[in-house]
Amino acid sequence: MSAFFRHRRLATADWVVPIVALLAVWELISRSGIVDPVLLSSPTAAVGALFDLAETQTGDGYSVLLLHVLSSVGSLALALLLAVSVGVTVGILMGASGRVYRFLDPLLTVLMPIPGIAWAPIFMLWFGFGMPTIIAAGALAAFFPLAYNTATGVRSIDSRLLMAAGSMGAGRREVLLRVCVPGAAPSILTGLSLAFARGWRTVIAVEMVSASLWGLGFMIMEGREYLRPAHIYGGIIVVGIVFLLLEWLVVRRLERTTVERWGMRAPVEM
Amino acid sequence: MNNDREPSRNAIGFALPLLIVALVWQLVVSIGLVDSSLVPSPWSIGRTMLGLLSPEPLILSYLVTSLYRMVVGFVLGSVIGILLGVPLGASGGLHKALKPILDFFISVPTICWVPLLLISVGMGDATVIIAVFLGCVFPVTYSAMNGVRSTRKDLVWAARGMGASSSRVLFAVLLPAALPSVITGLRLAVGYSWRALVGAEMLAAASSGIGYMIYAARAFYDVNVMFAGLVLIALAGLGMDYLVMGTLERRTIQKWGAVTKT
Repeated sequence: MSAFFRHRRLATADWVVPIVALLAVWELISRSGIVDPVLLSSPTAAVGALFDLAETQTGDGYSVLLLHVLSSVGSLALALLLAVSVGVTVGILMGASGRVYRFLDPLLTVLMPIPGIAWAPIFMLWFGFGMPTIIAAGALAAFFPLAYNTATGVRSIDSRLLMAAGSMGAGRREVLLRVCVPGAAPSILTGLSLAFARGWRTVIAVEMVSASLWGLGFMIMEGREYLRPAHIYGGIIVVGIVFLLLEWLVVRRLERTTVERWGMRAPVEM
Repeated sequence: MNNDREPSRNAIGFALPLLIVALVWQLVVSIGLVDSSLVPSPWSIGRTMLGLLSPEPLILSYLVTSLYRMVVGFVLGSVIGILLGVPLGASGGLHKALKPILDFFISVPTICWVPLLLISVGMGDATVIIAVFLGCVFPVTYSAMNGVRSTRKDLVWAARGMGASSSRVLFAVLLPAALPSVITGLRLAVGYSWRALVGAEMLAAASSGIGYMIYAARAFYDVNVMFAGLVLIALAGLGMDYLVMGTLERRTIQKWGAVTKT
């Protein structure tokens, strides 16, 4: 946690105060009864609902909330694993060969604006309900930024580096692994952080529609079915916090230990 | 990402790979390598689309409904986003107070709000429009804020030094300087809103829209209709990004020589 705070280079108070203020205003509004409690449950009710879910145990003695979180994070991890292995490979091919780029670019351009969730009904038919569909849709959504950013990274490598490696007797494999991949690393990591955000959104969204039993998206949808807004607000809070934590602990750490340490440009965020 | 691509792309170079893939796909399905009830051929997808067009233009009315929801939500969201973002960027105090809250809201996927809207607003247009609105309001706020904040300080000082009032600094210096960032943000926001639209239509559209069409086809295992929906989503998404937002970018910031890449 300390690394998380230090990195933001913000005094803790700088973000704690606004968040606490927001929670206080929200609590006041919901307590005052201006808004129907069915629509707006208070933050204390939301946190209470989360505690209830955390304390509820399945038959095997696991915490229900923990299983929802682990299910979503696990789906995301598998989706990203798939997306990185395919996306980076395709990206390197596109970056290394103009012909491959010109062939694949129109296909990716057409497919990219289709949101991951739109594939869900088809994937349910192909792969069945639950995890397989969630992972497939997440992987597909995460694939595009990885492929494009890897391709851009490989294309931006100084050709003198390639020639130098070649003239010093490096084989294709060595050029690929020791020049192309490290050279494209800043770009690949930008792609990864975009892929991470897209993947997370898609995993949560597809969990809502694909008749899964676990996952934060399912948890939120369940709150809707039983008309329990506290569960929905609790779910939204957890989805946001898990995302921010994973972002700072995994994606940013990866950036710090690789490209920033190598003195390459820190990737741009968006 | 999108903006980094080769500008020298002609229509044939773009269409040829798509045609080749469609032909191979058609062949693979026709030979029977894959089950056509799981993967329909391009030909049968095309026929399905024609079928949804000809007796009554069902598919067109769905498309129009979706675009209507998209436009209303997006216009509301971008206007409010800019109105929120400019003061957030211009005032250090506001920025400090509200940035953490904005950070949190931007990291919550838009679709998470839909179940709440379903409880409070119910199925239908309003819920979808609010989802589209929520999809773009935060990114636009963010980009307007960043645009204003990244205005060169010497420009502001120069204007102040020459006696410009605060409102004049805002309208003559800060807003024009923020415009490239706002336009880039709007283009990104189109993508976010589009995703929110499709997702919300799947969960909350009572009886119309492209997202609804795909989701409803699930009940009949009608793969053809699902793929037809994907084709429409891809075409409409591309149209909005390249034709509308791309043109806006070329007409404004590229022409002014202030291209910002994300």
